[in-house]
Amino acid sequence: MIELHRVWKIYSVGPVKVPALSDVSFRIAKGEFVTLCGPSGAGKTTLLRLLYREDVPSEGEIEILGEEVSELSRRQVAALRRSIGIVFQDSKLLPGRTVYENVAFVLRVLGTPRREITGRVFDALRAVGLSARAQAYPAQLSQGEAQRAALARAIARKPLLLVADEPTGNLDEGMAAEVLDIVKDIWAGGTTVLLATHQAALTATLGRRTLTLHGGRLVKDEG
Amino acid sequence: MFGFLLGEALRDLRRAGRVAVSAILLISLALAALGAFWLLSSNLGHAVTQFRERVKLVVYLKREPASLEATALVERVRRVPGVAAVRYVGKAEALGTLKQVLGKDAGIADSLPQNPLPASLEVTPTAEGATLDGARALVRRLSALPETDEVGGGVDWIDRFAHGQRLLWLFGLGVGAVLAGAAILTVATATALVLHARREEMEIMRLVGAPEHVVRLPLLLQGMMQGLLGAVLAIWVLVACYAVIGPRVEPLVTETLGIARLTFLRPLNVVSLMLAGTLLGGLGGWLARGRAQA
Repeated sequence: MIELHRVWKIYSVGPVKVPALSDVSFRIAKGEFVTLCGPSGAGKTTLLRLLYREDVPSEGEIEILGEEVSELSRRQVAALRRSIGIVFQDSKLLPGRTVYENVAFVLRVLGTPRREITGRVFDALRAVGLSARAQAYPAQLSQGEAQRAALARAIARKPLLLVADEPTGNLDEGMAAEVLDIVKDIWAGGTTVLLATHQAALTATLGRRTLTLHGGRLVKDEG
Repeated sequence: MFGFLLGEALRDLRRAGRVAVSAILLISLALAALGAFWLLSSNLGHAVTQFRERVKLVVYLKREPASLEATALVERVRRVPGVAAVRYVGKAEALGTLKQVLGKDAGIADSLPQNPLPASLEVTPTAEGATLDGARALVRRLSALPETDEVGGGVDWIDRFAHGQRLLWLFGLGVGAVLAGAAILTVATATALVLHARREEMEIMRLVGAPEHVVRLPLLLQGMMQGLLGAVLAIWVLVACYAVIGPRVEPLVTETLGIARLTFLRPLNVVSLMLAGTLLGGLGGWLARGRAQA
């Protein structure tokens, strides 16, 4: 499903070269639930950005769903992203649209037939326990609800891989647990999950395979 | 999908707000100016066509020929290249026409000791003979006839008039082009504002793998909508002005240009203006599209 081979990502800050990722290699099989942990600045977000081809590695190879991502054309990148559900720490919900419209929006831009949209949106909202809040605007949601809405948006198009970048970073313990339960349900449904977090305690509660990044290096792969 | 893209474009248009309104007004101003000059020019064009159809040369004869001589002369002139029709006007007929023109002052003509008016031939040129070069050649040929004293009339003034009409059209085109340039820039600015307003949506669209045309097409469509709305507004203004001003100036136009009535732009011209507006708006949206690239 995902394979990284000796991946480097180096940013240039004037004459200074700053390595955000150094010689990272790992493999994630289809159907795995993997936690990517490490302190802030460890390179988690950089790594995830490489996976959904928001950025390209300076060196090394990244293969996702059988495709070498560095060599993809713009059209192929779009096709790759249709297989990946992405969730961010700040949820990135569109403020001028309701929860329903936020979820429906991605289905519409991907050309989902109109007659299927309502059913799929409500299936996704039910999966995250938000069907009662379908007509609420993002400003009217709690942070936990917003993150659940973002999850609904990510899973409505039934992705093969869910990439979640600190989805519980802004949440209190109770809300974080709720969101994690939903992520576990999504994984149980057959979706491969890669979840990045800086909360070490959270990793322990998940009890799944954990990749630990530190200073841009993969220092631990356990579980 | 097209319905969705159209909906997004409408949403974008609302987002652009006042700048979009300015762009629509500028486009309508450009097209209204262009349409007004077009309207003026096409009516002057009708006048030129009518002038050419009515143009006549008068061949004044040195002496009044006898009846048989006159018939033979008419036949000979009819065979001259560039001549469509010939009518002989004797001295008596010329004086009769003068009296009709003088109306109640016709007595003045009666008091003359003798008829001073010469016999003449009224020559109607063919379409080719009514052009500037054709008419000059025809005048030369008619002047060369031994019976000719003088040839009156010509088409030089019609050609000057036609030249003026073309200049007016070019001037209108120039004014329209300058205003259109300003309109394109305003549409591009409105689109840039839309881009700023929808940057989050575009980010989401790209992250979920939306095809590039789905990301960019609403921008182009909202520009085209601005253009189309501007064109419709311009045509409405032209129709309103034509309805209000037309009847007031028609008598003057009939008197001076000889055309029975003013005509509005043809349906094809109206469609062209609408297409031009849509293209202008689309061009503005297209110019701003580069900023939509990730």
